[in-house]
Amino acid sequence: MIWNNVLKNTEYKKKYVEYVKNWEEKIHSLLVFDPDRPTPGKAEGGSALSNIPYVVKDNIAVKDFRFTCGSKILENFVSLYDAAVIEKLNTLGAVPIGKSNMDEFGMGSSTDNSALAITNNPWDLERVAGGSSGGSAAAVAAGITPFALGTDTGGSIRQPASFCGVYGLKPTYGSVSRYGAVAYASSLDVIGVLARDISMTETVFDLIKGKDEQDQTTTEYIEDKRNLQKPVFGYLVGDLGLSDSVAKAYKNCIDILKSKGYEVKEIAIPSLEYVIPAYYTISTAEASANLAKFNGIRYGYRSKGTESPLALMKKSRSEGFGEEVKLRILLGTYVLRSGFQDKYYIKAQKIRTKIINDFNNIFGNIDLVVAPAFPTAAFRHGNADLSPYQQRLADKFSAIANLAGIPALSFPAGVYDNLPVGLQFFAPHYSEKLLFNAAKIIAEEIPVPKVPGFKTIEEICEAPRG
Amino acid sequence: MDKTIFETFIGLEIHIQLITKTKIFCNCRNSFGDPPNTNICPVCMGYPGALPALNKEAAKKACLLCLALKCKLNEKAVFDRKNYFYPDLPNNYQITQFEFPFGIEGSVDTALPDGSIKTVRIHEAHLEEDAGKMIHDRIGSMCDFNRAGTPLLEVVTKPDFKTGEEVEAFLLNFRRIIRYLGVSDGNMEEGSMRCDANVSINYIGKGLGKRVEVKNLNSSRNVKLAIQHEEQRQAKLLKAGEPILQETRLWDDDKKRTESMRSKEDANDYRYFPDPDLPPFATTPEFIAELKSMLVELPLARRNRFMSEYNLIQDTAEFLTEEKDKADYFEEACKKGADPQNAAAWLKGDVTKVLNREKMEILSSPLDIGRFIMLLDFVEKGKINGQTAKKVLDIIITENKNPEDIIKENNWEQVDDSDSLMPVVEKVLAESAAAVNQIKAGDMKPVGFLIGQVMKNSGGKADPKKVKELIMEKIK
Repeated sequence: MIWNNVLKNTEYKKKYVEYVKNWEEKIHSLLVFDPDRPTPGKAEGGSALSNIPYVVKDNIAVKDFRFTCGSKILENFVSLYDAAVIEKLNTLGAVPIGKSNMDEFGMGSSTDNSALAITNNPWDLERVAGGSSGGSAAAVAAGITPFALGTDTGGSIRQPASFCGVYGLKPTYGSVSRYGAVAYASSLDVIGVLARDISMTETVFDLIKGKDEQDQTTTEYIEDKRNLQKPVFGYLVGDLGLSDSVAKAYKNCIDILKSKGYEVKEIAIPSLEYVIPAYYTISTAEASANLAKFNGIRYGYRSKGTESPLALMKKSRSEGFGEEVKLRILLGTYVLRSGFQDKYYIKAQKIRTKIINDFNNIFGNIDLVVAPAFPTAAFRHGNADLSPYQQRLADKFSAIANLAGIPALSFPAGVYDNLPVGLQFFAPHYSEKLLFNAAKIIAEEIPVPKVPGFKTIEEICEAPRG
Repeated sequence: MDKTIFETFIGLEIHIQLITKTKIFCNCRNSFGDPPNTNICPVCMGYPGALPALNKEAAKKACLLCLALKCKLNEKAVFDRKNYFYPDLPNNYQITQFEFPFGIEGSVDTALPDGSIKTVRIHEAHLEEDAGKMIHDRIGSMCDFNRAGTPLLEVVTKPDFKTGEEVEAFLLNFRRIIRYLGVSDGNMEEGSMRCDANVSINYIGKGLGKRVEVKNLNSSRNVKLAIQHEEQRQAKLLKAGEPILQETRLWDDDKKRTESMRSKEDANDYRYFPDPDLPPFATTPEFIAELKSMLVELPLARRNRFMSEYNLIQDTAEFLTEEKDKADYFEEACKKGADPQNAAAWLKGDVTKVLNREKMEILSSPLDIGRFIMLLDFVEKGKINGQTAKKVLDIIITENKNPEDIIKENNWEQVDDSDSLMPVVEKVLAESAAAVNQIKAGDMKPVGFLIGQVMKNSGGKADPKKVKELIMEKIK
């Protein structure tokens, strides 16, 4: 595979850098691109990822790289350390070459909430790449990187993956260390993988998963080996509020599974309608505390000309955070007020328990759920297609997996009207293998789409110059 | 304050810094007095992406003290976030325990100066992280984060105290307990033990009054003084029919009075919620069994046992059990054959005097138990007399030498044979005709004087008993 050589071979590297720059002029997926970073070189020949470049969402720490989270408050901040996943990938010889754009602190579904750049969808530059891991998804779709790391709190890997026509894995909560990923909502956040290749997705996940002493919410990964040969699928019926293209893709996917002889059952998730209030209560509550550390005292943006520490903190935060972040901090502060927790925070936790119970029941009868990743394909920049409120409501299909802690994989399910559509599989805790197998079944019928202008790394490096 | 009209209720919130190798949630050294910002890392500095990982040693020491305070341990203790903004609090929330602390519903017995035993109920004990420190200077304000992440155990009592004296005695006992268990060094001056007092007074029979919290108390004596001051202040207000404000007051050590810091209305809403970064801590039966094996006999129980087992008076037993090391030393010496009364007298008297002068602790001093026993034995067997023994003790401690070598080098072995002593006795008697006559006339008073003279002339080595015998024999 040429990806292993691209950074070592001067000729290849030159062509590759040129290819990246061409795309980047159009899509702005990366906040940092630094292919000259010395290769870790620790890995002995055997590693599948040896010398492979990859891209990291900018809320994951990579030593000596900028570490902005898409926010003005961290615009010039440089990480002092590597996240646990980066440390693992370093020892395997993989080379982080860039940091990808994102919605500020992971809050959004378009990457338009980044304070630092606007990322365009490689399929249609008028449209968003999705979010919050929009930069990672766009970079993977454009062939800039063989895989990218993202984080998923309420769909932030899967929705942009579906908008850009690539795979996006949100692993089981607790299976991948969060150490070094800037928390948005700690009980929901997971680091995951985006790639155009399901085997690459699987390989990277296998290498980054496992217990980490630095993140005590991680556990030993004990694989759930249920029904790997002939899984039973479930799907949702009734009015799901899907766009035509997504509805078509959904039906098509079910038909493919049936035609291949898999058992497919109708299911209901009774708690689905309560996902959004529960998700926004819990995520904003946690975010209100998680983002309190950004106060201009120790690092990051500091407002000038204040006269007391308290004023300095207030003003730095007022000037450093964007509107969506402030909105969510305020909401989270509101739901945690003493005397009001029963009404909001505690109630949301009860819904969360109900969602977990719903999935326990569902996975008593079937092995995998097929669900939409998002009700629409990629929408246009701005609020013309989907208002911010509609964007939030649309998170219900993805955020439900975060509330349940289960693994989910969004996969390319066809191209409609020149835009990719993605769907997702849900599986029980610790059964990512089921997800990968199911995605391979679909890939036999629906190949991963190539965005116009896409080149494989072989094509990039072999093509005559000029 | 007129105790026939008013009644006082005092509850304490005591913070103790736990002795652990590393901080509560990271691997930085937990140490006091290092140059600013030298024991810090991404975790205790609240850097983006860093996560807390609970230090098991801190959990263990916290739970050990809970058991010693007879608390029930919550089966699942939960860490919560307490939200407030302050420059020295790295995450702008403090990780603490709110709804499910490690320990609840305990009690502690304390011996009061009048000899009675006071039982105080413990409301709860929870583990939390300390904040950093703000230093204000002419250049501006600066932060030192070395202390950020120091494990703190906060013990909250019920309002069971009635007087400042009770509180003072309790704090001294509490300090002994935590030092016995090795969970903290309990140094109020250095801040490794801090105490806030909630003081309320009311007319007798009317129950609790308005609660006033007093902070900035850096010694158990100041706690007592502040409480007594509050009693006076609040009684005066009550008598005058003026309201007592529910507020937080600071003790001003120079002016010896409390001053208002903030009222209840200014109190923060801390918006507590469970910290999603830390799973609940399960206190399993194995964990509890391990803790029980670490428990030790507490100072009060040990004092009482010393009184009955070694037949010591309360004052001596109290002295010996102040510090675990001292009590262990005493018991070990007795086990190895020292006479308890004798050993206790030496420890309480000259040994402590010399150690204090040299600023040494008994266990790390050159006076190991073997040397101590040998010294007592030499006195017992008459090899040296008491006066010489004191000099030997001094040299053991200051020059780190063995007692037998010291005696040999200085030729201090006691002389008790008549042949060598008689000439000295005869000389002294010849020079003290008046005294001799007095004794002959039946007045025994000058005997002591004569013995002293003989001792002096023998370089202190003479056995005083033998000298007396010889003097009496000669005068007869």
